[in-house]
Amino acid sequence: MLWVDKYRPRTLDKVMVHKEEATNLKNLIAQGDCPHLLFYGPSGAGKKTLIMALLREMFGPSAEKVKVENKPWKVEAGTRKIEVELTTVSSNHHVELNPSDAGFQDRYVVQEIIKEMAKNRPLDVAGNRGFKVLVLNEVDKLSKEAQHSLRRTMEKYSAACRLILCCNSASKVIEAVRSRCLNIRINSPSREDIVDVLTFVAKKENLVLPPELAGRIAHHSNRNLRRSILCLEACKVKQYPFTADQEVQTTDWEQFIVGLANDIVTEQSPKKLFQVREKLYELLVNCIPPEVILKRLLDELMKKLDSELKHEVCHWAAFYEHRMQQGQKAIFHLEAFVAKFMSIYKRFLIDTFG
Amino acid sequence: MASGDIRKWFMKQPAKAAAAPAAATSTPDGKKEEGANGTDRYKSTSKFFSGASPAEKVKDEGKAKPGAASSKRIKEAVNLDSDDDEFEKPLPKRARNVGKGSEDESDVGKGRGKGRGESNAKGTQDMDIDASPAKAPAAGRGRGRGRGDSSAKGTQDMDVDASPAKGGGRGRGRGRGKGDAPVASASTEDDPEPSPKKPAAQAAPKPAPAGRGRGGGGGGGRGGGFNFGAREAPPHKGEKEVPEGAEDALAGLTFVISGTLDSLEREEAEHLIKCHGGRITGSVSKKTDYLLADEDVGGRKSQKAKELGVKFLTEDGLFDMIRKTKRKQSAAPPPPPVKAEPVKAINVVKTPNPKTNDDVKGKAKIENGNSSFVNNGKAHAAESESWPHKHRPQSMDEIIGNQSIVKQVQDWLLQWEKHHGNAAKGKKGNSSSQQKKAVLLSGNPGMGKTTTARLVCQLLGYEALEVNASDSRGKSDSNVKTGMGGKTSNTIKEMISNKSLAFDGGKSDRKTVLIMDEVDGMSGGDRGGVADLIASIKSSHIPIICICNDKYSQKLKSLINYCLPLPFRKPTKQQMAKRLQQIAKKEGLEIEEIALEELSERVNGDMRMALNQLQYMSLRSRTLKYTDVRARLMASAKDEDVTPFSAVDKLLGFDGGRLRMDERMDAAMSDMDLVPLLIQENYLNYCPSKCGRDDSGTARMDAIARTALSIAEGDIVNVQIRRFRQWQHAQMGAFMTSIIPAAYMHGRREVLVQGERNFNRFGGWLGKNSTFGKKTRLLEDVHVHLLASRICEPTREAVRLDYLPLLSMHLTQPLHNLPKDEAVQQVVDVLEEYSLDQEDMETIVDIATLKGGEGLLEGVPAATKTALTKAYKQRLGDRRVRSADLLPVLSLPGSKKVTKKPARMNFMPADDGENLDSLEDSAEAEGEEEGDAEEDEDLEAKALALLTESRPGMTLTLDPAKTKAAGAGRGRGGGGGRGRGRGKDSSQPKTPKATPAAKRKK
Repeated sequence: MLWVDKYRPRTLDKVMVHKEEATNLKNLIAQGDCPHLLFYGPSGAGKKTLIMALLREMFGPSAEKVKVENKPWKVEAGTRKIEVELTTVSSNHHVELNPSDAGFQDRYVVQEIIKEMAKNRPLDVAGNRGFKVLVLNEVDKLSKEAQHSLRRTMEKYSAACRLILCCNSASKVIEAVRSRCLNIRINSPSREDIVDVLTFVAKKENLVLPPELAGRIAHHSNRNLRRSILCLEACKVKQYPFTADQEVQTTDWEQFIVGLANDIVTEQSPKKLFQVREKLYELLVNCIPPEVILKRLLDELMKKLDSELKHEVCHWAAFYEHRMQQGQKAIFHLEAFVAKFMSIYKRFLIDTFG
Repeated sequence: MASGDIRKWFMKQPAKAAAAPAAATSTPDGKKEEGANGTDRYKSTSKFFSGASPAEKVKDEGKAKPGAASSKRIKEAVNLDSDDDEFEKPLPKRARNVGKGSEDESDVGKGRGKGRGESNAKGTQDMDIDASPAKAPAAGRGRGRGRGDSSAKGTQDMDVDASPAKGGGRGRGRGRGKGDAPVASASTEDDPEPSPKKPAAQAAPKPAPAGRGRGGGGGGGRGGGFNFGAREAPPHKGEKEVPEGAEDALAGLTFVISGTLDSLEREEAEHLIKCHGGRITGSVSKKTDYLLADEDVGGRKSQKAKELGVKFLTEDGLFDMIRKTKRKQSAAPPPPPVKAEPVKAINVVKTPNPKTNDDVKGKAKIENGNSSFVNNGKAHAAESESWPHKHRPQSMDEIIGNQSIVKQVQDWLLQWEKHHGNAAKGKKGNSSSQQKKAVLLSGNPGMGKTTTARLVCQLLGYEALEVNASDSRGKSDSNVKTGMGGKTSNTIKEMISNKSLAFDGGKSDRKTVLIMDEVDGMSGGDRGGVADLIASIKSSHIPIICICNDKYSQKLKSLINYCLPLPFRKPTKQQMAKRLQQIAKKEGLEIEEIALEELSERVNGDMRMALNQLQYMSLRSRTLKYTDVRARLMASAKDEDVTPFSAVDKLLGFDGGRLRMDERMDAAMSDMDLVPLLIQENYLNYCPSKCGRDDSGTARMDAIARTALSIAEGDIVNVQIRRFRQWQHAQMGAFMTSIIPAAYMHGRREVLVQGERNFNRFGGWLGKNSTFGKKTRLLEDVHVHLLASRICEPTREAVRLDYLPLLSMHLTQPLHNLPKDEAVQQVVDVLEEYSLDQEDMETIVDIATLKGGEGLLEGVPAATKTALTKAYKQRLGDRRVRSADLLPVLSLPGSKKVTKKPARMNFMPADDGENLDSLEDSAEAEGEEEGDAEEDEDLEAKALALLTESRPGMTLTLDPAKTKAAGAGRGRGGGGGRGRGRGKDSSQPKTPKATPAAKRKK
């Protein structure tokens, strides 16, 4: 088992980071009822871990007996019937799903499936609290329409159902939904927290982990706890015993993007842009989310840029990222950003060096 | 003066511009008289031209296709003209005018033929030539083309107004000012001002100003084939002024272009040469006059040219040649920027623009114009028959191209009786193998398929019965015997089966052939038509000729097995032009050969359309030139179907900037889905001609950035259109995704990747998107399995970004580093822990390897892989059930029985009952679909067994419908490890388990 799973805290008591949130949640549950919750924060911060621990706190160990289903739902969409395939993870007490998987049909998932689930009362079984819980992941990826459909459901069926929403960015959740929830922000753990966790893991595994290396891993993973632990394990696979100046393992796609950034900076020409397009396609096709690509690419470019240009480039990155959200074919926007960058950078080089 | 002389004279002229002065001065008086009302001499002459003299001349023409009688008049006219000419001649004066910016250059007509002798003699100058009635072919006088170039405007409004290229057609003495700026002008809206930067040929109207008295003609054509390699941009692109010369300055000369020219793109050079009447071919031959090359690259062309002694010509040399044809205006600045009104060359003969300021004269002209027009009209009235019909080939020789096919049809028909007729009855066995009973002629419309069929039948004495799409061709009734009448198909059936009619009567020379025309048009009403036709062929006692356009049509798939396929090919343009010329002669048309070749090329091998076009054009004028044809075809071209590729070629092509907005819109909207994708795929390959000379490449990079932005915005518009059904934005979408990018980027295409062909690629997005879809599904499988392992709950994104790299490491590293057994053990442990199966392993290794990364399983010995498979299978047998197993197990191919009797251990709260019910329904539906299952019941039994042993407390769901297993999307079918193969990869390794990595390396 990967360490990241092996040492995942299962209960609110064992949580190592976000202890305060954990305590608050525990108190909340202790009162017997709870409001709708909205967890938001960057990935790898511990949202999901907290949610699972919370469910266990609510319903006891039976919340962990889950089954996974991947089934098609027949949904009435206006006049026609459509079929939506969804993966659900459910226990006796809760159902977890990711409505944004349905793409642009997510509205129907919310209107039909979630409503259906929400309006049925749970059986009166021991350990039951009189309501069941729906965990919805990635609500920020839901379309606006779907989010609007959600808000009515949240009110109407609140007697029998609690929603726990989970997302990366609260700003992409409409205000109406946010105001119906208790918002809980889960920050990225601080670097010290991460180092602590890494040290803890190393100790459990009987490894000697130089603190410098732990620090570098924490830094490298951008305060993403999950990535840090995975990275630690990758380093272990690569080389053990650890040395303080050991190279931190980068993932395949990170290396790839670094190469991409190098390409862009070395040459600005249609030919290069054409090659870059191929590489972008390669990333996208292999399921790297376009936002991640853009962000990471910008990071890499920033490292190589003259400070004069940084502001402008950031502006354009934000600009194209926004476009990308509105659009559908991510490659067009990524390419447009790269083209814009090349154009700016080339001009800059010529102006500066002739 | 013979035409040759004239030419010489003119050629020399620029050099000795002053040479003529003597003549010029000689008649100043006459001139004055004529130009009575003009104080200014120049003006007076011009008036004269536009008015009086033309009038007279026209009369001549109109009258008698100038017989001898008219000669006098002509003479007169000529004289008048000559006077004018002389008058005008003093170059200096003119130059001055020009300098003022008023006007332009000369005009000249071209005359060929003897009729003109005198005038020439007088000669003087080009003017007389103008005088020659261009249009009067009959006169034998040549084809003059007076095309003055207009350009300008200013002082002499009148000329300009009068302009309609009539000059061209009518050749009237109007020389000078009459602007015709014929050619390109129509399309130049885009850049009205020829900026010096831009290659003038493109931007400026190509005036071809002077008509020149020189034997014209000459076949032309556009030869130069495509070139696939990248060509360098001309080193001095746009830096030279492109000269304007007489329209047929280069007439009769054949050029070959080689290598990179100094300042012109090859397309520009071709256009320039063609517009001056020259001909361009792709390779050097004896007929080649010049090899146009600025650098001796030592390629094949130049080598051959040296062998054949072809003259080399540099770009400057070419310019000189062209320039020589018009009066040199040394003082004059670059071509008069004012483009006056672009005159379309189409209306060559149509009434002149009545806006002359000299009313009387103008009127006269109009009258004349009309009269000639009327004449033409009358001539045509008699021949109402359409040309394609009238000139249908009457003998085999007249069929253009495809002679071998015609021959084959003939042979086939000749042999038919031998093989299939009564005589052949005895040896029926081998007959069918040797020869098919029917032929299938296929090819684009207008190539003469039907004509061939008819002609062959006729020649061989067969009677042809033709059945085409206008007849109902459904399946014949069973009661064929009821006789003729009723359905056509019944008739056919009867005919083919009626021996007495066909062959017994053969002696009485009544032989029949059935021509089934347009067989690919059978549809709708013609139910069972093709099948019936096949049946007919099988039982037929007479030959059958089937004709279709598209032999690959789905409908004809079965038919083609019973026929001898004979595909018609496009005749070459030379072949077509030759035949067209014959026909034109018969009809009394005078057409430049180069024009006919252009026509042939444009109609894409469709002779019928070529003739129709020709007939139509002949209504307007009896003389047609390259420019007329071109303009005509350009105008009609947009009504044709455009493929996405041709639309993109058009938009991004060299002339992209000259298209009208509605033309662009048409092109962009021709396929709203594909055109934007093609443009997006290819725009990087174009060197925008807008950027001109761009050493640093910044201009191009800027253009690319803007283009990319526009395309990206177009994507947003597209979302609105599709997702929210806002179709009113369709035009805007087309604008953003196609037109703006094309406007920025149109230009010359270059190759970015070595060895790539210089054609537009198909949009890559579609393919990538589908690969993306596939990988996403696979990843989702992995994701679901991970969830099912219940030890982690990552989102899909986290699976890809964080888990996969490490998992792939865990799955492959040991195989490289550890001894076989230990490694296998470890890997299988990991797999089991995370509920992954071997397919997931493939997926992980695949997705986690980005191009450029090393194949993770590369170098793993085959033995290890085999061992892994073995170990995995063994585990599968004796270990406890994994929760993830339940997902796939239920969709085992053999599980169809299970669907009927679902073993459900469902712990879902009862309140979900409704869902379950509906699920049951769908289960049944699903059950049928899963029918592909040939696997045994053992698997089913095993699945159930596994279930029963499963750990207590585990939640199981055995409803096949619900568990439409993660992998549903993947097609199942191959022999997968657990009976759930995946059909997706076409190249299933022979030992699927053993070499999971074999596929990886693509």
